[in-house]
Parts: sequence; structure tokens; C-alpha cells
Amino acid sequence: MIHLFYIYWLFLKIGLFTFGGGYAMIPLFQMELVEHHQYLTDAEFANIVALAQMTPGPVGLNAATYIGYQQGIAALGDVIGIYPAGCLGALFGTLGVMTPSLTIVLAAAVFLAKFQENKYVKAVLSGIRPAMLGLIGAAVIFFANTSIFTAPLQTVFRKISAFGISWQAFLIFGAVLFVEFKYKVNIIFVIIGSGLAAWLLYMI
Amino acid sequence: MKKQLILFRSFFVISAVTLGGGLAMIPVIQKAFTEKNKWLTDEDMTDIIAVTQSSPGIIATNIAVLTGYRVAKVSGAIFAALGAVIPPFLSIVLIASLFQHLAASETVNHVFTGVRAAICALILAAVIRMTKKIIKGKFEIILALFGFIGMLFNMNAVLLVVLSGLSGVVYMLLRKKEKLQ
Repeated sequence: MIHLFYIYWLFLKIGLFTFGGGYAMIPLFQMELVEHHQYLTDAEFANIVALAQMTPGPVGLNAATYIGYQQGIAALGDVIGIYPAGCLGALFGTLGVMTPSLTIVLAAAVFLAKFQENKYVKAVLSGIRPAMLGLIGAAVIFFANTSIFTAPLQTVFRKISAFGISWQAFLIFGAVLFVEFKYKVNIIFVIIGSGLAAWLLYMI
Repeated sequence: MKKQLILFRSFFVISAVTLGGGLAMIPVIQKAFTEKNKWLTDEDMTDIIAVTQSSPGIIATNIAVLTGYRVAKVSGAIFAALGAVIPPFLSIVLIASLFQHLAASETVNHVFTGVRAAICALILAAVIRMTKKIIKGKFEIILALFGFIGMLFNMNAVLLVVLSGLSGVVYMLLRKKEKLQ
């Protein structure tokens, strides 16, 4: 039971400190779940984000539901069975990540007619927005570490580093970047296409 | 009560069919509430987008709460948020229960490596687009570098967000002082 509330608290914290939604949430998830608690490995976490992209609904919400499900099983799976434990965990994770919407945002709608025009709100956001940009930039490196690079970029200065580049992944990376700027393709096709391309390229 | 149910239904449908969520929902909501039902004006919509972008949390549920509140006060906000949350919740729980047994073959690993490389590119594209909008001068460049380097070297992200918000306030006060002198 304590663990369920901990899941709630974890996702509440992530929701509370994310501005700009979606991608901005990835670094916070990574910090809490991968680095700090080691609930997930880098690759597992990256797969969850990929899965969250492919399914309908907001990425942040999807990831919270999925990770909540897994953590629910880890905490209570032996006691109440896998499916009920997973669903409870998912529920607590989802509620946590959407609590800021139901409290702060609702309060802003009720009490402050022109919340976004307050000069302090404006000043705080003028600092947070560029920092968030940097955080999301770090998420690019995180994904490169688990796909294009064979060892994390941060280890490149160490003497015994297995750092290298997977040409297959790099090719897909370049192609997607090109397609994204040149044509406006639905994200689901981009993702299915790159999955297929990887399957073929790695057979070579 | 009728308005609440329509809100619930509309957000349920929008959330079920919109991939990528968040801001991708806006044109669909605009169509549903300003053109079809005429519950909101274009000005309301602009306000909603502005507040959404300056609030913490999930963009999609923030939009649902704000739209629901304008149409039918607090109960409207709750119904709209529930509508937005239920479809992704159900689909993820379903996928999570299936996916647990599908892990760890060599082929699946390769496919996911490809997908991760694609997402890497998609996020980079988003960063490039946002850079054009957000970066206006030295102040933004310094904070963006601070966020980037801090995150790469495992600085606490919550602390990072708080510090950058504070520096925004300090920067505003400093500029004010400069103007006064």
C-alpha cells in the first residue's frame, strides 16, 4: 500500500515540474526511474517511450500509466495477483501525473482570469522555457545513447570506453530527420517504417 | 448535465484518435467547440492555449480542464479530464499486460533500436523548431546550456527547473533596475 502512494507521489512530482508536456517529461522520468531508483534500465525506459509514442493519447500520460502498471506488479503482484496489481499501479501513476491539471490549472482557471499575464508568472516561465529546451536536448543524447551509440556519449573521454556508432541506427536517424523536415509524415508511419528498416538493416 | 456528457464524449473521442497528444489536439477541439457547438469563441481558445503553455503537467489534460471549465465550470472540467484520460489508460493497460510476455528476442531488440533512433531524430527536430521560438538572446542560451549540461551530468531535474525559474525572476528585476537608472 505504501508503495502505491509512493508511485503516486513520484508521478505527481514529475507532473509538477514539467512545463511544455510530452518530450519535456522524458528527462524527469529518466532521472527518477532510471538514474535514481533504477526501476528500469536505459533500454527498457527508451522502449516504453517508443511504445507511448505509438499508442493514442499523450506521451507523458501513456508512460506514467505503463510504468505505474509495472511498478504495481513489482510491489503487489505476489499479494493480489498480477493484473489487479498492475491496474492499481497504473491508476496511481496516472492520477499522480494528472494531479497538477486538476489542482493548479483548475485553480488558475477559477481564481485567476489572466494567470498567464501576471508579470511574475511570465518571469518564471521566461527562465524555465529555455532550461526545458536544454533538458529536451539532453533527451536527444539519451536516445542516441541507447540506439546510435554503442556506449553512452558521456564515457567518450574515459580510456576504456566501448564508444562507437551503429551505422544501421545512424542511417535511420538521418532518414527520419530528413523526412521530418522535408515532408510532414504521420508519426505512426515514421515509427513503423523505422522499425521495419532496422529489422532489415540488422540482418545484413 | 447534458453539457458535461458532451464534454466527456468529445474528449474521449479526441483522446482516442489523436496520436502524440498535447498540442495535436488543439485543431480538433477548436472544430468541436467553437465551430460545431459554439460554446467557445476563438478568443477563449487562444486564452486556453496560452494558459496551457504556462502550466505544469500534461498538456492534454490541461486543455481538457480549461475547456471543460469554460463550458460548464468545475464539473465540466472533471468530466472533460476523465474523457481525455480513459482511452489512453485502457489502451496502455492492455498493451502493458500483453507486452510483458513479448520481451527480449534478438529481432525485437533490433526493431526497437531502430525505433529509438527514429525517436531520437524526432526529438531533435522538435528541439530545432523550439530553438527558433525560444532562444532570443544570451539569457536564453545560458539557461538552455545549463539545462542541457546539468541533465547530461545527472543534476537533479527538479532543482534545475526551480533554479531556472528563479533566474527568470532575477533577470526581470535586474532589467527593471536598469531601466530605472
